[in-house]
Amino acid sequence: MRNSFLKILTIAIFISILGVLTIYSSTYQKEGSLWQDIYKRQILWIAIGLVCFFFISGFNYRKLWDASYFIYSLALFFLFLVFCLGIIRLGAQRWLKIAWFNFQPSEFAKLAIIIFLARYFSRKSASDISLLSGKFGIFRGLVLPFIFVAIPMFLVIEQPDLGSGLMLLLAFVSLLYLTNVRLKYIFILLISLILPLPFLWHFLRDYQKDRLLVFINPNIDPLGAGYTVIQSRIAIGSGGLLGKGWLSGTQSQLYFLPESHTDFIFATFSEQWGFLGSLLLICMYYLIIRQGFMIAQRTQDSFGKLLAYGISLLLALQVFINIAMNMGLAPVVGLPLPLLSYGGSSVLVTFVALGILVNIDRTRAVF
Amino acid sequence: MERKKIFSYFIGLMFALLLFGLLNLNLLQGAKFRRLSDGNCIRLISQQGSRGNILDRNGELIVGNKISYDVMILPQDLSQVDRALSAVSRILGVETGELKIAFKKNFVSSSLPTTVAGNIELKKAIMLEEYKVEEPSIIIAPKPLRYYPYGSLACHVIGYVNEIDRWRLTKLEDYGYKTKDIVGFGGVEEKYDYYLRQEEGGLSVEVNHRGKFTRVLGFAPPRDGKDIQLTLDLGIQKIAEENLSGRKGSVILMDPQSGSILALANYPNFNPAIFVNKRSTLIAGLFNNSDAPLINRAISSSYPPASVFKVVVASAGLELKKINLSTHFLCAGATMVGSRKFSCWDVHGPQDIIAGIAHSCDVFFYKTGLLLGGQNIHDYALKLGLGRPAGFELPYEASGFIPSPLWRKINKFQNWFDGDTANLSIGQGECLVSPLQATGMMAVFANRGYLPVPYIIKAVGGLELEAKKKRLTPVAFRKSTFETLREGLREVVSDAKGTAYILSGLPVAVAGKTGTAQVSHGLTHAWFVGFFPYDKPKYVICVFLENGGPGHAASAVAKRIIEAMNSQGLLQ
Repeated sequence: MRNSFLKILTIAIFISILGVLTIYSSTYQKEGSLWQDIYKRQILWIAIGLVCFFFISGFNYRKLWDASYFIYSLALFFLFLVFCLGIIRLGAQRWLKIAWFNFQPSEFAKLAIIIFLARYFSRKSASDISLLSGKFGIFRGLVLPFIFVAIPMFLVIEQPDLGSGLMLLLAFVSLLYLTNVRLKYIFILLISLILPLPFLWHFLRDYQKDRLLVFINPNIDPLGAGYTVIQSRIAIGSGGLLGKGWLSGTQSQLYFLPESHTDFIFATFSEQWGFLGSLLLICMYYLIIRQGFMIAQRTQDSFGKLLAYGISLLLALQVFINIAMNMGLAPVVGLPLPLLSYGGSSVLVTFVALGILVNIDRTRAVF
Repeated sequence: MERKKIFSYFIGLMFALLLFGLLNLNLLQGAKFRRLSDGNCIRLISQQGSRGNILDRNGELIVGNKISYDVMILPQDLSQVDRALSAVSRILGVETGELKIAFKKNFVSSSLPTTVAGNIELKKAIMLEEYKVEEPSIIIAPKPLRYYPYGSLACHVIGYVNEIDRWRLTKLEDYGYKTKDIVGFGGVEEKYDYYLRQEEGGLSVEVNHRGKFTRVLGFAPPRDGKDIQLTLDLGIQKIAEENLSGRKGSVILMDPQSGSILALANYPNFNPAIFVNKRSTLIAGLFNNSDAPLINRAISSSYPPASVFKVVVASAGLELKKINLSTHFLCAGATMVGSRKFSCWDVHGPQDIIAGIAHSCDVFFYKTGLLLGGQNIHDYALKLGLGRPAGFELPYEASGFIPSPLWRKINKFQNWFDGDTANLSIGQGECLVSPLQATGMMAVFANRGYLPVPYIIKAVGGLELEAKKKRLTPVAFRKSTFETLREGLREVVSDAKGTAYILSGLPVAVAGKTGTAQVSHGLTHAWFVGFFPYDKPKYVICVFLENGGPGHAASAVAKRIIEAMNSQGLLQ
């Protein structure tokens, strides 16, 4: 029981340290105290994250069952706030400036939706204590939860944050699959999502269209939309087997690679530590996600089980999409790499999610 | 549970895909991306060494380099550039607008210095260098430029330097040549460009995504080109050029014992410095001039050899025993070949071989030639180095042409007639010889039996090459043939009626042969090919004047050259 706690904690701290090192290496040559202090802020966030982790891991997750509607509403409220501010300021708006830091509600919304869906699908029938989800009709099994997901998803995509929006959708589809909702419904959902895609194309913003086109062939616009992917691939590839060494990455430190400390931190990392370092990092992520799945399998409580699956899934999807986009295997959507990328909201939410995961495993014995 | 298993396999698959991507980028394509990454951030700022010097046989400088100063500006940011440009304009006294135009024209990237003014005076260079403290973006770059202390002297031997052309670039790219490289055109500059060429050195610097300098990675010092020492003797070359000056033609002086060229002069000539200074109107004038001053006439043009060719016919006759010393032909001013009358330029009476050579009697050689036949004459001409390139080092050597019955049959489907033999016997008709070939032929009689391969390179980069360059092909004539021919060639000068009697008064005994080539329009070409001193020849001289009149004119030039050489003590 304590085993999973230690494992997850160790791996999370290890990845966070790698993250701080990488952030430092990509920013230490930039001028200005703002850049110089970025790694310190990340350390601070990790510290806060760890405190949250310890607190949440001792906090019975069953209480989330009761709070899930509140959490969902809170997330919706923040997203709506961002949406309104975006309208007022006539531009992209992803953050809420709270005191001295920028809070990114979409990060919080991802976790909130997972909690909400876990609660929704783990309701039991009063008569025979069996899960209701297997018996759901199309409305309760598909349409209703989809509406619950679609509202925050719309707000997130409007920010615009296509990556996080798609994350929500993918998490939703995956959870549907895991909760014994009939396959038929899932296919209906997928088809009804895929069919209108050509029409949705027109609703995408120009830069989003560019990014998708560039994914197909980065060289159609090598200095514009394709630039980041080309530079990121160069950064990863030029690392070779052993990498250029810490603080010696030319792609990231000479500014060829944009967003080298946030979305494209994997490229920065891989340039410096090479194939072996990247292999180690990917293995670390895999181990932490595997832990999540094992916890889910061990847990008898269906809410805990779904929650554990959802959290592992959230991590897995983010890691996969981010790294794949760094390698040019997925279109560029703004998604951070959990624990490695700079960003307080992401770090905090990831630690909280891991705390819940650990708590599920810890509480299991109590039941 | 089934769904959960499928699900975890799916997640496993996702991670496998990531690993595959990593494997592909880092290991399979790693080298390619490494190169791209270096290309992103490494720039080279080149520094040129100086091209090798060209020296004469005594080590005196014929072509060297002088340092010129270019003003360059490192355009790190725009306001700085404006300030630097106005400073440069104040010191050089050039308008800022002009500098700005030059800056825009030459600008490549903000990490590379941009030339705004070239070839400035030393004094101003020093002033600007002092100004660098205030304006660190100003760079004074010393650049070696080709320098010709004697102007056009030996220009055809040396050639000139210019920016590489497209054709040469396609051929030379594999040897490290790049666009805008300065390479040699014509002469030694072209042929030995690979040795003369300086090696580019420079700084390799790291730049960021805006092309701004971040740090120096390394420095490779430029390496100067190798010096080339020629066999030319500056003193003799000067004399040859002075005496040729104003007459279209060429003069060659060669050492008959080795084949080394001591002087090679052509007129009209050109000043290679105009290519360095990029005087475009003068350069265009050179290329458009109908007298073709860029052509090295001595080696690249061939002309009818006229009476000079009689040396070939005489030696062939003696060797094949068609004639001997007691053979006499009567010159009555003309002779009949078939039904055609072939005339001599004078009436000589009875002529033996010595007199025939001395007086250049056409009738004697018509008759000798008819005894020999066209093919024999052709064969002996080739033995004496005519009709094929001599294997000289300078580019664009003409091969000349000696007709033969066989050639006529194969290529023209025509028969060879006795009239053709008679024409060939006096070096007229289709027969063509370059001055260099005539010089080589004469050397065989000067050194009694060896056809030298002419050469002009004495040493490259301090390495003596003469032993390798000296190649003498034995010409297997009987000794008596050489002696008879030499006697005849001496008589040309010493006999009071000899065609080059004008040379008899010289303090040195000269032997040789004149030639007056009929041309279809204009004055005749004048030849004098000879050697001196007669007993132990040190020099073979060939004077050729294009449309220069009778052979006498060429002899007169040869006389002045030998006189000048004597007065400067070069004959001792």
